[in-house]
Amino acid sequence: MKNSILFILILVATAALSPFLPWWIIAPIAFMGTYVSKTKATAGFLICFLAVFLAWLGSILMTDDGTIAVLMGKLLNVSSSFTPFLASLLGALVAGFFGLAGSLLSPKTKNWVND
Amino acid sequence: MRKIFGLTTLLIGLFLVYILSTPQKVGETAIPPLAKLLNPYTGAWQNAESLEDYTDFSLESDQIKEEVRIVFDDRMVPHIFAQNLQDAMFAQGYVEAYHRLFQMDISTRSPDGRLSEILGPNLLDYDKKQRRLGLGYAADNAVQGWAQFPEELKNVNAYSAGINHFIQNLKPKDYPLEYKLLDFAPSEWTNRHCALLLKAMTQTLAGYEEDIEMSNALRIFGNEDFNLIYPDRNPKDIPIVQGPFLKAKESFDNLNISEISDVYIQSIDRPRSPDGVGSNNWAVAGNKTVTGKPMLANDPHLGLSLPSVWYEIAITTPNFSAQGVTLLGMPGIMIGFNENIAWGETNVGHDMSDYHTISWTDNTKTTYMLDSQVVKADLKIETYNVKGTGVIYDTVRYTHWGPVVEDKTNLALRWIAHDASPTPEFMAFINGMQCNNYDDYLKSTADFYAPAQNFVYADNNNEIGIRINGAVPIKNYRQGVTISPGAASSDGWQGIIPRDENPQERNPTRGYVSSANQYSASADYPYYYNGNFEPYRGRTIHKYLQERDTVDIAYMKTMQNSTYSMLAEEALASMLPMLDSINSSHPFAISLAKWNRHYDANSSDPVRFDKWFAAFHEMLWDEIYTQQDKVALPSPDLWVTVNMIEQVTDSKFYDIEATPGIETLSNLINISFAQTLDSDPIPLSQEKNAQILHLTRLPAFSEMEIALGGTKHSLNAMQQTFGPSWRMVVALGEKPEAYGTYPGGQSGNPASPFYKNKIATWAKGEYDKLELATKPEDISKSLFSVSITHEK
Repeated sequence: MKNSILFILILVATAALSPFLPWWIIAPIAFMGTYVSKTKATAGFLICFLAVFLAWLGSILMTDDGTIAVLMGKLLNVSSSFTPFLASLLGALVAGFFGLAGSLLSPKTKNWVND
Repeated sequence: MRKIFGLTTLLIGLFLVYILSTPQKVGETAIPPLAKLLNPYTGAWQNAESLEDYTDFSLESDQIKEEVRIVFDDRMVPHIFAQNLQDAMFAQGYVEAYHRLFQMDISTRSPDGRLSEILGPNLLDYDKKQRRLGLGYAADNAVQGWAQFPEELKNVNAYSAGINHFIQNLKPKDYPLEYKLLDFAPSEWTNRHCALLLKAMTQTLAGYEEDIEMSNALRIFGNEDFNLIYPDRNPKDIPIVQGPFLKAKESFDNLNISEISDVYIQSIDRPRSPDGVGSNNWAVAGNKTVTGKPMLANDPHLGLSLPSVWYEIAITTPNFSAQGVTLLGMPGIMIGFNENIAWGETNVGHDMSDYHTISWTDNTKTTYMLDSQVVKADLKIETYNVKGTGVIYDTVRYTHWGPVVEDKTNLALRWIAHDASPTPEFMAFINGMQCNNYDDYLKSTADFYAPAQNFVYADNNNEIGIRINGAVPIKNYRQGVTISPGAASSDGWQGIIPRDENPQERNPTRGYVSSANQYSASADYPYYYNGNFEPYRGRTIHKYLQERDTVDIAYMKTMQNSTYSMLAEEALASMLPMLDSINSSHPFAISLAKWNRHYDANSSDPVRFDKWFAAFHEMLWDEIYTQQDKVALPSPDLWVTVNMIEQVTDSKFYDIEATPGIETLSNLINISFAQTLDSDPIPLSQEKNAQILHLTRLPAFSEMEIALGGTKHSLNAMQQTFGPSWRMVVALGEKPEAYGTYPGGQSGNPASPFYKNKIATWAKGEYDKLELATKPEDISKSLFSVSITHEK
């Protein structure tokens, strides 16, 4: 339950703040999210990764009718249908690492190795 | 342990953010800042554009006086409706930035030597060359000169304000795609940018010079052979203006030029006029058209790029309603029509770029001799803020003549581009589009300074005319063909030809005026000029217009799309009969004999002919081509070769120096023919491989492998990357009937449906109808409209 709320919070914060702030705003969002909620490490990574991946992918698919995907595909020499996923993967990875870092650095009573 | 792992993870995250926010290089491949580019909120995805996205919007500015409406028609052409001229200029600046901001940025950075600021050290060498040519200095001079005309300058101020209004209200997520890719931001537009654009055009169009190469050739060959290989004029040419000229021509006693240099000089590696720049224009009088009213055609040949060099625009105020195309960065309409007149330009090929020798007083090269006096050179320190490298300095020496382009040469450049215009040059296209009769048009365009153009004109009063507008230097006989002396100030040009004495024609009895970059005037023209002139297209226009008693719009379009080569016609008429019996029965020769001399996309005959002719040309001038890797020498013109075959049976140049025997003309013809037989000819379109590259040259944003015919010497002067950049035909009458086409689209956004939508029409030789709308309601189909109101 706690994890689902965190997932939704990160997804909503990403979608709400990103249009007005630099792309890397997802890093502090992810970090703060797992740091404050004291989410477990593996879950912290996965939640942030998935939330940002979906936020980015959804936004891309709503914005682009495929023209930009084709252009970016040609530009980066990758398949055009893959570019929205590639783009979302970049954000997801960054968020995942910061989510993991937030989990690991949040003060905990339990030993993380036993999580 | 947990903390260490956490901190490590944090560091990896920060490193990822850094890597994805900055440009990277893997081997030789440059990678853009990936997350900046690909994030959905401010990245490339925000540049997605589709037909459903266009909606009306409004904006406010304190720079305009009354409401302006801009209606974008279904071809995305903006029709500006303003209550006064300055408001119209503001709107013009706004729409140009709205569609083409990156292009305007790059095309003014290029002459200013500021590409390395955004593209890094690879462009530093190019930047240095541009600055050492003094293009930025030239723009500074222009802006200083413009200050003398505060009233006229208000139009340019309004235009720049319109551009800045767009830039200032642009959010990073809305930056054109290229800014995101190259990771920089648009900067403020100033009037100096307008001047830079004009200077860039002067470089493209009035950048011809071969002084060093010609001097070397004169040293090698001596006057007699030099005049044979590099003659000033083609006797077969039909000049633009055919005289007679009333003012007496100076007699030229000494036909020889003397050598300035006692050593061979290396070429100065500078960006010059590219081969293939040129244009056609003509105007036909009412008594030679089916409508009884004049018709006008113009097609400028420039480097083809995406976005296109031209932008279509229509401007209406209570005083006029005009439509046509303009170069991005200059207010007004350069080629177009209004309700009563039509106009267009072709380039004047005169040599307006001369090198003068400098005698430095010592090795520090800070003072030099002029008129027996010691004169101090101005040392200008150029600063380059190279992206990713830092600041680099370069010192350029400015002399009485101009900048020393390369320090090792001791040559200073006198170039028309450096002059400040004594007239408000920018008004030529602002006032020109408002004229209703030829006297007014001549007055308006007399302001134009550089690059000098053949302005063609036609109107509803049944007047047609053509005149060179722009500064053309007064020179001594053959001055500037080779390197000029520089010890005395009298070694320079003797001034600028008065506008009234520039070559011009008004309503000639032949019923038409025309130009295609050939010689400006007949041999009795009182002033000497040399330069780079096109030998075949001009005559081809005459041929087409003389073949018909009356012409119509369809015929004018056919002419613009004609791939007929007069060079091939003339050359083959002499070359085919000289083939021996074996060669003349070869299928290639039989095919060439039947060929109609048209460079059609699917035909392989033009490819065969070009190979044969090129091989012959190089064999004929082996004395030059075999030396070019040692000494900088100009290549002889192709027309000189054609005329040689036709007229000269014996010449020492027919001998191939590398062989023991003595070759004759017919030997060369047959040897060169045999050389072309070793490969299977391919269709012209494949050989040409025409392409239209994006300004960044990225294939992703370019149009590659377009199947096109044409050649440099046909009216449809399509080469690989150069060609007809705008084709326009206008029939004047109660309401002008006009057609136009260009290889691109109105929008500079590679993701826009209007980015390259016109290429297919253009490639097929078809045209869009250009509907002149005098009020917003005249536009039957529109995409969206913008209203600009005065901000209190």
